[in-house]
Amino acid sequence: MNLLKREAGGSLAEDRRVQALGVVAVLALAAVPFTTTDALTGLILTGLVYIMLGVSWDLIAGYAGQISLGHAAFFGMGAFVSAWLTTPGGAGLPPSAQLPLLAAILVGGIAAALIALVIGPIIFRLTGHYFAIGTLALAAVIELVMLDRRDLTGGATGYYINADIGLGEMISHGDMMFLLTLLATVITVAVTYYIVKGPAGLGMKAIHDDEDAASSLGVNPLKYKMYAFVVSSFFAGLAGALYAHHSLYINAQSTLAVTWTVDSLIVVILGGMGTFVGSFFGAALFLLLDNGLSAIVGGLATTVEGILIILFIIFLPSGLYGLIEDNLVEEISGSGADTDVDADAEIAND
Amino acid sequence: MVASDLVVQSVANGLLLGGIYALAALGLSLVFGIMDVVNLAHGHMLMVGAYIAILIFAATGITPLVGMFLAIALMFGFGVLLQKVLLQHVVDEGLEQPIIVLFGLALVLQNVGRILLGGDARTADLGIPGNGFDLGFVFLSLPRTVTFVVSVLLIVATWALLQYTKTGQAIRATAQNRTAAKYMGIDTDRIYVITLGIGTALAGAAGALLSMIFPIDPYVGWSYLLTTFAVVVLGGVGSVLGTLVGGLVIGVSENLGALFLGGGYRNVVSLLIFLGVLLVRPQGLFGSGGGS
Repeated sequence: MNLLKREAGGSLAEDRRVQALGVVAVLALAAVPFTTTDALTGLILTGLVYIMLGVSWDLIAGYAGQISLGHAAFFGMGAFVSAWLTTPGGAGLPPSAQLPLLAAILVGGIAAALIALVIGPIIFRLTGHYFAIGTLALAAVIELVMLDRRDLTGGATGYYINADIGLGEMISHGDMMFLLTLLATVITVAVTYYIVKGPAGLGMKAIHDDEDAASSLGVNPLKYKMYAFVVSSFFAGLAGALYAHHSLYINAQSTLAVTWTVDSLIVVILGGMGTFVGSFFGAALFLLLDNGLSAIVGGLATTVEGILIILFIIFLPSGLYGLIEDNLVEEISGSGADTDVDADAEIAND
Repeated sequence: MVASDLVVQSVANGLLLGGIYALAALGLSLVFGIMDVVNLAHGHMLMVGAYIAILIFAATGITPLVGMFLAIALMFGFGVLLQKVLLQHVVDEGLEQPIIVLFGLALVLQNVGRILLGGDARTADLGIPGNGFDLGFVFLSLPRTVTFVVSVLLIVATWALLQYTKTGQAIRATAQNRTAAKYMGIDTDRIYVITLGIGTALAGAAGALLSMIFPIDPYVGWSYLLTTFAVVVLGGVGSVLGTLVGGLVIGVSENLGALFLGGGYRNVVSLLIFLGVLLVRPQGLFGSGGGS
């Protein structure tokens, strides 16, 4: 069954039907706050946050090949920095530090990007396993320091955020935050797509496949790693800032916890690493699992998720995207459809 | 200013704790050195070993020093199974897959631990009466002293196993050059199975010993992973002596960090040492260069 056709070597995103599908999906999502309950809106907003986290983690891990286990730190710092700016009183900052919500959220993302910019040159002295553990350690240090700074994070009580951008009776604050998150998701997806399809994406793939070879061919590994790291951290921070201002409450223990790294990873692994659109499927499946499983198996949900990660990465490394591509997409023209499918599978396998 | 006798006491406690850290790190170091895999679930395996000892102690009152041997046996079996069922598919297949499989395993262990045992911290005690040793200038508590001695004995035993047994020689040969070892007739797949078995067994042993000193909850895995990895980095991958020294250094620094900066910074100190050493001397203080 081949629903979609694709030029050999081309991208599905160039298919007009896929583009149309994207537009329809965004329009349908835009209608969500007006047609569903607040609870469902919040749920779908979480799904959008998962997409932002997945797409941004895929950029650094799937494309640039740097398995960062510190994504949660950027999400959490984006959340806290933006919260300090909309609600300066909670952290003992002067009221003059207050920014409008939109600016505060943007600054949250920028702060996360700045952290990445500063620590990038240091942490990228590590490669492979050392980089993975190094980023995990870095996130742990940030979490421990923030937990200790009760004046800034509200400690165990957490940090309550004052913000309201609702438009009176018409649109509530939660609905506006949903629309903002949708906009941010579209921007995240568009910018990341532009990067991975452009020359920078090629550079990232080159250092992913063989850093030494790429380096000897004049590709500067640090430049592309930094590029991926800073952009990825910016979107993670933005996701954190949006999430914080939707829930209006954050807590150092949960907002900076490794859980968010786990979530980013699950979304990408389920969808397929380095496949870009895989993150959409991954986020959707994860949202279903996270809520469906909690209802069915209760506390065992994390166990099932852990097992799924293990099974997917071993037996289905190209994820849901790989399944869809194998079953629904037909290669047209080109010298040999088979060889091209193999090449794709290889890229996804990397 | 902190009184100097507190500092001396803190250093002594750190040294005794460092012995267990070294034992815990040895398993991580072996697996990393031989299989080129960082066991991200190592801290969680330690947690499981601790729970085995705690449950036995709670049910029967048998000292964790005995329970430790059951933890070693069970965790060895777990490691063997893990390699045979899951990891053999992904080891030597590049970087991402083993990391992610073990990350997933860590999640599973943490979650299962929380469901079976609840989120509360639990602890065992030595189960042997005694007061420890007062040396005048410093006091060595009995559980800390006993666990230190047992840790060092287990480290020496592991070293002897690697040094003097046929299997140990095969493991070291595989670590040096897998392909050459294979040509020499060594069943390297079996060596991987045994290595992971020993690695997880050592984590189990260290967990059982730690349960007598610190409370254990299902979430301690990440923090012990990072602490033990700090030891590995400090000592150099695959170096037994280096691991012992690294363990002592981390144990002492953590205790001094907690003394001077407050308990919340206990882990921050070892993490900063770890990042610092990685950046300045990535091959460790004693290592001859680890994998990447």
